Amino acid sequence: MGAYMSEKKYTKDHEWVSIENEIATIGISNHAQESLGDIVFIELPSVGNSVKAKDEICVVESVKAASDIYAPIDGEIIEVNNNLENDAAIINQDAENDGWIFKMKISDSNQYSDLMSEDEYKQFLEQ
Amino acid sequence: MPFAGFNMPINYKTGIINEHKNVRNHSGIFDVSHMGQILIENNESYLHKLEKYIPLQLKNLIKNRSHYSFLLNKDGGVIDDLIISNIDIKDKPYLYIVYNASRKKEDEEIFISCAPNAEKIYNKNCLFAIQGPDSINVLKNIIDIPNNMNFFDILISKYDNNEIIVSRSGYTGEDGFELSIPNESAENLITDLLKNENTMLCGLGSRDSLRLEAGLSLYGHELNENITPIEAGLSWALDKERLEDKNLNGNKILSDQLKNNLSNKKIGLISTNKSMLRDGMTLFDNNNNEIGKITSGCFSPNLNKSIAIGYIKSEFNTDNPIFCEIRKKLELLKINNLPFVKKNYKKNGSVYE
Repeated sequence: MGAYMSEKKYTKDHEWVSIENEIATIGISNHAQESLGDIVFIELPSVGNSVKAKDEICVVESVKAASDIYAPIDGEIIEVNNNLENDAAIINQDAENDGWIFKMKISDSNQYSDLMSEDEYKQFLEQ
Repeated sequence: MPFAGFNMPINYKTGIINEHKNVRNHSGIFDVSHMGQILIENNESYLHKLEKYIPLQLKNLIKNRSHYSFLLNKDGGVIDDLIISNIDIKDKPYLYIVYNASRKKEDEEIFISCAPNAEKIYNKNCLFAIQGPDSINVLKNIIDIPNNMNFFDILISKYDNNEIIVSRSGYTGEDGFELSIPNESAENLITDLLKNENTMLCGLGSRDSLRLEAGLSLYGHELNENITPIEAGLSWALDKERLEDKNLNGNKILSDQLKNNLSNKKIGLISTNKSMLRDGMTLFDNNNNEIGKITSGCFSPNLNKSIAIGYIKSEFNTDNPIFCEIRKKLELLKINNLPFVKKNYKKNGSVYE
């Protein structure tokens, strides 16, 4: 069994999560970047921190407002996207790929299964 | 976004930063029809009553000129800030006043009490602001604008066979115009303006970042009923002779403030890293003492940093470091004289500061 990329899942806080070999990559959804408007600054989380689902772990600042980013599942922060330090607008350009924010080693994969699929998230946005 | 009872766009398609830069480099169009517009007959009895609230000599207002002023409460606090102009409409002399949407109720109570037949015109006239160095080029093929029109000049022009009020003014720090136009012609005018491909519609977001860069005060932020124009650093807008006139609300308080030291002063601030300064954040000195608060903050597209306006205690020596609490951490700020971006008004139009 080689590495595999899971389907992308979404949280009610408009974050996306994809998992590869128990490493989760997290960012904000394209819908979230559209409603935030021009993103000018991100305070990245600290690598090495252990966090629980729903913990506020970093902040995205747009021209309109500051928005907290939550840990979608329990785990340890193992990497952050340093490119965003110099150019947070990458999130506006490509929120769900190059605009990833941090990676976590996850401790409970069941939490991941509970998140919304892309279709479910689309329905959630329409509500 | 709901704003003073109106549903207003924060931005259009291309976003706040792009709209902001387009105004600084070319031009942009703001629909400010939510603002109050009223016509008051220019007669001595009305002027005298209005002078209780407005710190200008209203009978001396020059025809076809606009003035930045205020309505003052009995303590000299600002009920609203406004633009008041002396203009003839259909050969009849009027004061034309533009005021904040959020203060319509308070302002109109005063206007009607002074001049019972004052005519609110914002239900039949839209108000558009076209702002930026290219505004004149966008407008001149559509509306007749005399070459010698200066900043804060105002006149009647024509569009679609309708009379429109054209003033060379705005609140972005740039040259520009405000057009009060009958509703039935409004859509045609916008369509005509947008034929120029270098202009675009702009929302409330860029309106705020543009006025903040220009160091201009906004009601509800730098101004409210507990702040006098002098405390807000706007004493240049007061007619000093009126401060000796008992008919003016708060004249004694204002005149004392002008002679004595104030407890607070208005300052401009720039973030030294990338975090954003926002309204309500608390300011501290080197020893962790609270010294003031931010009243407006935004991202400045021109400086590529966050900027803010705030009030601090006058005794604070601005050579010392100043800090702002952002998410429970203290961050060092730089004090910057207002405005952050040089104003670009036409000719002798350094009307604001």
